[in-house]
Amino acid sequence: MSISEMQKMINGHARIAEELEICRKYGIDYYSQRGKWTQAVEKYHPRRLELRVSEKFAENADTTTLRLVSTSGYFPPFRAGQYINLFVEIDGICTSRPYSISSSPAQNAYYDLTIRRVPNGFVSDYLLDEIKVGDVLASTGPAGHFYYSSIHHGNELVFLAGGSGITPLMSMIREVTDRNLHRNIHLIYGVRKPQEAIFHEELLIRAQRHSNFIYDLAVSEPEPGYEGITGFIDADLIKKQIGDVSGKTFFVCGPREMYSFCIPELEKMGVPGRRIRREVFGTPAEVTKEPAWPKEVKADAEFTVKLTRGQVINARADEPLLTALERAGIVVENCCRSGECSLCRVKLQSGKVFQPSTALVRKSDQQSGYVHSCAAYPLTDLEILL
Amino acid sequence: MDYDVVVIGAGNGGLTAACSLAQRGVKTLLLERHNVPGGCATSFCRGRFEFEVALHQLSGLGPAEKPGPLRHTLSKLGVVDQLEWVEMDNLYRLLVRDDLDITLKADREAAIQTLQERFPAEKDNITAYFDLVYQFCIELITIYSSRDPEATPEKYPAYFEYALMDTQKVLDKFFTDPLLKLAVSIYWGYTGLPPAKQPFSDMAMLLFSYLELKPYHLKGGSQALSAAILEKFLQSGGEVRFNCGASKILVEDGRVTGVVTEHGETISTSYIISNASTISVYTEMIEPEHVPAEQLKKLGGSTIGPSSITLYIGLDCEPQEIGINETTNFLCASTDMEDAFTACWEIESHNDYTLVSCYNISDPDISPPGTSQVCIVDLKYGESWLNIPPHQYFELKEKVAGQILDRVEHYFPGFREHIEEIEVATPITHMRFLGTPGGAIYGFDQYAKDNNMFTPPRALIKGLYFAGAWAGMGGFQPTLTSGTTAARQVLKDIKRQAGVEI
Repeated sequence: MSISEMQKMINGHARIAEELEICRKYGIDYYSQRGKWTQAVEKYHPRRLELRVSEKFAENADTTTLRLVSTSGYFPPFRAGQYINLFVEIDGICTSRPYSISSSPAQNAYYDLTIRRVPNGFVSDYLLDEIKVGDVLASTGPAGHFYYSSIHHGNELVFLAGGSGITPLMSMIREVTDRNLHRNIHLIYGVRKPQEAIFHEELLIRAQRHSNFIYDLAVSEPEPGYEGITGFIDADLIKKQIGDVSGKTFFVCGPREMYSFCIPELEKMGVPGRRIRREVFGTPAEVTKEPAWPKEVKADAEFTVKLTRGQVINARADEPLLTALERAGIVVENCCRSGECSLCRVKLQSGKVFQPSTALVRKSDQQSGYVHSCAAYPLTDLEILL
Repeated sequence: MDYDVVVIGAGNGGLTAACSLAQRGVKTLLLERHNVPGGCATSFCRGRFEFEVALHQLSGLGPAEKPGPLRHTLSKLGVVDQLEWVEMDNLYRLLVRDDLDITLKADREAAIQTLQERFPAEKDNITAYFDLVYQFCIELITIYSSRDPEATPEKYPAYFEYALMDTQKVLDKFFTDPLLKLAVSIYWGYTGLPPAKQPFSDMAMLLFSYLELKPYHLKGGSQALSAAILEKFLQSGGEVRFNCGASKILVEDGRVTGVVTEHGETISTSYIISNASTISVYTEMIEPEHVPAEQLKKLGGSTIGPSSITLYIGLDCEPQEIGINETTNFLCASTDMEDAFTACWEIESHNDYTLVSCYNISDPDISPPGTSQVCIVDLKYGESWLNIPPHQYFELKEKVAGQILDRVEHYFPGFREHIEEIEVATPITHMRFLGTPGGAIYGFDQYAKDNNMFTPPRALIKGLYFAGAWAGMGGFQPTLTSGTTAARQVLKDIKRQAGVEI
């Protein structure tokens, strides 16, 4: 007796077989529904956005805002604090940089990217000097985890910003004040010199108009006679400006050094880790100065990287693997370029790389040799699965 | 041909399929759109936590001295010994408001005893029910694994009587107290249909398997398993391409001829095992003129199963500090699971059925010392989430998470105050990362008619095979097993084509 013959003897078999026939007869036409799930996801997470520069305005001497509109007319929603990764092609090299959206999600007509010129910045120079109103750029959809959550962040927020780290926080400040949300924000904005502060006038006006927003500018290299708050954002300064820290959630965004300085200061004051949010660390400006860097490998050492299908490219020790791949014209999906989002993950078949301690690599990736190519620096010749 | 077989998708089913084939010397290419293997069987980092995405309680493995079917499957692939398995002592703790708080051991006698102590009036019913579950499962295993040619209702009465009966009917026959009925059927969420809609064979096998072979987790989480299988695949000469989804399956004269990647490259092959859903394959990947009308009609007889709202949470305290003492906890507000199931269609979370898994209880290494990792699941159909105005999405997501956390707070006071990291996954999130229709986590709804008995995953197009949840049942054991089954079928056909005796 075959299995199907045997199964026909099961109590209820005939009834269910009939039910199935009816379900098929009056069944779902999946063909007519094709694509609907992908389209639903695209509304939130488009693979690419096409953006047109609609305005370009200076914020201060070395900072400019690019106002971007969507060429399709649709922008996915974003959470104040998120960034997009902007793709550019410069001198034949396709690369990208993540920039926080500084405009408020209260409107979705445009995304503002506020970009500060980085000394010798390959991409920031290009965006500030070459890109004109009307130009079209591509980007990822909004990404990142540096945003406010009503679930566990409470209503008492303290923002610690350093330099251009104000941009994601600016989006949050604009959202809270524009929408009159019931959240209190106290911003301490650290800069070396007062003229470096971005959005200074607007912040003053918003603080004046909204009782739930307080703005303090802290200047670390003041001119003689400067009357405002001076010094680094340390425990003393925070205590003086904020008072009691209990029940408050801190959002910290700034250069890499700021996290290693400010976060221990907060911990010293007894702020629990769950109340400290930080943006991604970014990658080290000079990776060879990292404490764990193997001294025998010089910054300008060159190695070869062999790809799965035989192609061989060159890679410098002091540049992330991702950059070497981009220089060779090889496209690897990427987003945060800080070692945290994992989109640029590749499998190492042989060889060694240096990964800064801030790279957020999973245990299983460490065990099976996956690295985040944006935060992996070649220390030997490599073979990668790509 | 470029490859003997192309496997589309490196989820559980795709991985075991690809690995089995490569180990038998079949030239196999594995395509995966993501940059790591695993599909659901993966993890992600937030702050100092690495969150397990999908594995709650692995079934079918069994201890080394008493191996279950999954241990056999994984042993053949050569991945069992290199992984560190974590056995769980208990099935679950079930909390129903102030009416019931019961923890069942993963042991037949102990579980019966616990139930009898709590429900003394139904002492004998409990024994009788467990006897039935055991008799039923042993009959089922005997019939199918020993392929008894003389299987008859006289010889296997429990199987022929109950296999297709709905679980609720069986529960009603044996028990009177609704709390007791709930206490023995709470695992329904692992297959997605409430007892009133779930065939008894699914329920019985779940309970039997966990009682006999124990629930498991593994060090490094499900990603460790996916990584290990991929490694074996590569060692056996298999080739994998990451960041390389398949966009088209090429068919000529009713037979698979190749696959086109998302980058536009055409790869020729005579066999495809798709870990991607049957829905995507038949409505998007194959040109309509090559899809037999009969195939689409068959497809239309099944409905897309549930997705979920999943909360991945890192707490800055030990689980015991807030009263979490078990790995697996089910929270219910009532005993009416049909109501709880109906709520799966709503966007907001008024579900009377929530799963709270805290891995630290069985594996303290799962998160840093002094912290805990908690995963909370509410089943939700994805359909309702499709038409939300995008600008309301984030607010809604947090609102729903808040509703779930309010219920969790009731049983584990202080929970919310300890949240350090939280990631909320909605059906939209599951659609994004799994790429499944409706963000479904178990494939099709598993009504009796959707059982392989009535709906075998056989394709009308020659050379096309399926592995994973859409080819049968969802969950780790079924999907891992489905891959080796599909590989076996392909191998058989390759040999047949070559005229080799089998």
